[in-house]
Amino acid sequence: MAYQLYRNTTLGNSLQESLDELIQTQQITPQLALQVLLQFDKAINTALANRVRNRVNFRGSLNTYRFCDNVWTFVLNDVEFREVTDLVKVDKVKIVACDGKNTSNAAE
Amino acid sequence: MRELFLDEGIEDRVLDDLRHLWESKMMQSKALEDFRKNNINSSNFVLQLPASYTHNDQDMTVKARTTFNKVSASVVIPTSQKVQSYPVKTTSETVATFSLPAGLTYPVQIPAGVTLQTASGQLYKVNVPVVVTQAPAGQQPLTHPAPKVPQSQMLHIRVSTAPVQKDPPMISNAAVSQATAVTLPPKTNTAPIQEPVLPPQPPTPPTPPTPQIDVEDEDILETPSPELETKTEDCDQPLNLSMNPSPAHVLDFQMNANTTDIDDLLKEVIEKEREKVRYLDPTKADDDLGLDLDYGALADIVQLDGAADNSEEEVGALEENDFLGMINAEAIRALQEGDSDGLSSSSDSDGAEDELAHVEDEDPLNSGDDVVEQDIPNLFDTENVIVCQYDKIHRSKNRWKFHLKDGVMTYGGRDYVFSKAVGEAEW
Repeated sequence: MAYQLYRNTTLGNSLQESLDELIQTQQITPQLALQVLLQFDKAINTALANRVRNRVNFRGSLNTYRFCDNVWTFVLNDVEFREVTDLVKVDKVKIVACDGKNTSNAAE
Repeated sequence: MRELFLDEGIEDRVLDDLRHLWESKMMQSKALEDFRKNNINSSNFVLQLPASYTHNDQDMTVKARTTFNKVSASVVIPTSQKVQSYPVKTTSETVATFSLPAGLTYPVQIPAGVTLQTASGQLYKVNVPVVVTQAPAGQQPLTHPAPKVPQSQMLHIRVSTAPVQKDPPMISNAAVSQATAVTLPPKTNTAPIQEPVLPPQPPTPPTPPTPQIDVEDEDILETPSPELETKTEDCDQPLNLSMNPSPAHVLDFQMNANTTDIDDLLKEVIEKEREKVRYLDPTKADDDLGLDLDYGALADIVQLDGAADNSEEEVGALEENDFLGMINAEAIRALQEGDSDGLSSSSDSDGAEDELAHVEDEDPLNSGDDVVEQDIPNLFDTENVIVCQYDKIHRSKNRWKFHLKDGVMTYGGRDYVFSKAVGEAEW
């Protein structure tokens, strides 16, 4: 089971919306849509782990922090994300982080 | 995924629809804008049929244009570096990516399964590979293909190059919402692209030139799906595929076409609201000259920015003048009172002044409260989100250190990805 964490990205949300539309028009069943999402979870986890190879540094001020069910949720203010190529400044950002260790992998 | 779909007895077309929807939404979100910018140089114009979703992450990079329909044209433009080009196979299972230069070096092959929609709303389901060739300028569009495309045929689409402008009137003619995909960039054509041609366009004579696409049948490869969604109407109407690598144009275009109806609706709603306000607001009411009595009571109801609700009545006009005077310095106020049309109005304006002053004093106080209230509920709502996994989170007193990995960041409507992220923050 891969994390369902990535369903709340642009990619995941658009997929879910598309699936919902298809369900509404009776073109697929909800069960099938669930299978699609599970497949998406596996795919996105694999892709992020294997295909992405860049590193980012960031610095900011911490507004809130929360650790519940092994999930960290932070809200940072005035953050600067620095990559080798470019710099992005953000007023407010929310970070949701699941446990990255190999042994504890569970659905959200 | 196809196997799963087939197990359920669903046609492949549904899977393609899903992919189209997904990609169109991705493009709408502009999350992948970077790839488009790279495309202006690399000028790749790619249509994809991912066989599995594992490829989708990397494959769904850029689209020149998408429609809002369920059946939409998905034109993907990947970066030259990151695109994984798969061999074009005859089976529909493979991921077939082509590079269509946005600089219009034709011919272009479009794989099967793509649904194209023209500006006039015609839907063309390309169930066979399509070759887009560059037609000489001024060439009339050929007759559109018959609704049924026989198997093992390839459609040839000729595109006569011409710069394309957004064309809301044409789009409004479309039965469905948006027109299609590709507006040729007037400036970025480096290939030997022909000068803009004005093809005859029966519905809208003043429209700027658009590329014409002639669809022909030829003999080739793949097997189309059993159902065809092609609607061929007038043979004379040219297919308009506009390729537009620049995202701003795309979005504006889409927004234009999308909001024409919305604007009308909004205007109607606003009109109705204003009518209601006028109706309810006795100061704006018609012939009642006894409004002066109610003037003071209504002062707090009336907007401070009295100029917004222009009333045709004299009373309304007087109100505006008075309000403006109050908002300005007292000297101006005195002048305006002197200029006001009647003693009655000036006396009423005095009464209203106090109330307005009250209201003005109260608003800053209230607004101060509002700021505090809004802070907490919105704290977790609208900001940019990073979804990732953590390796280590460390804290020393109030200094926090984050070691994150495999994350997707959404910021400013765009998506970024990282494999590792290290950060520091003070609480």
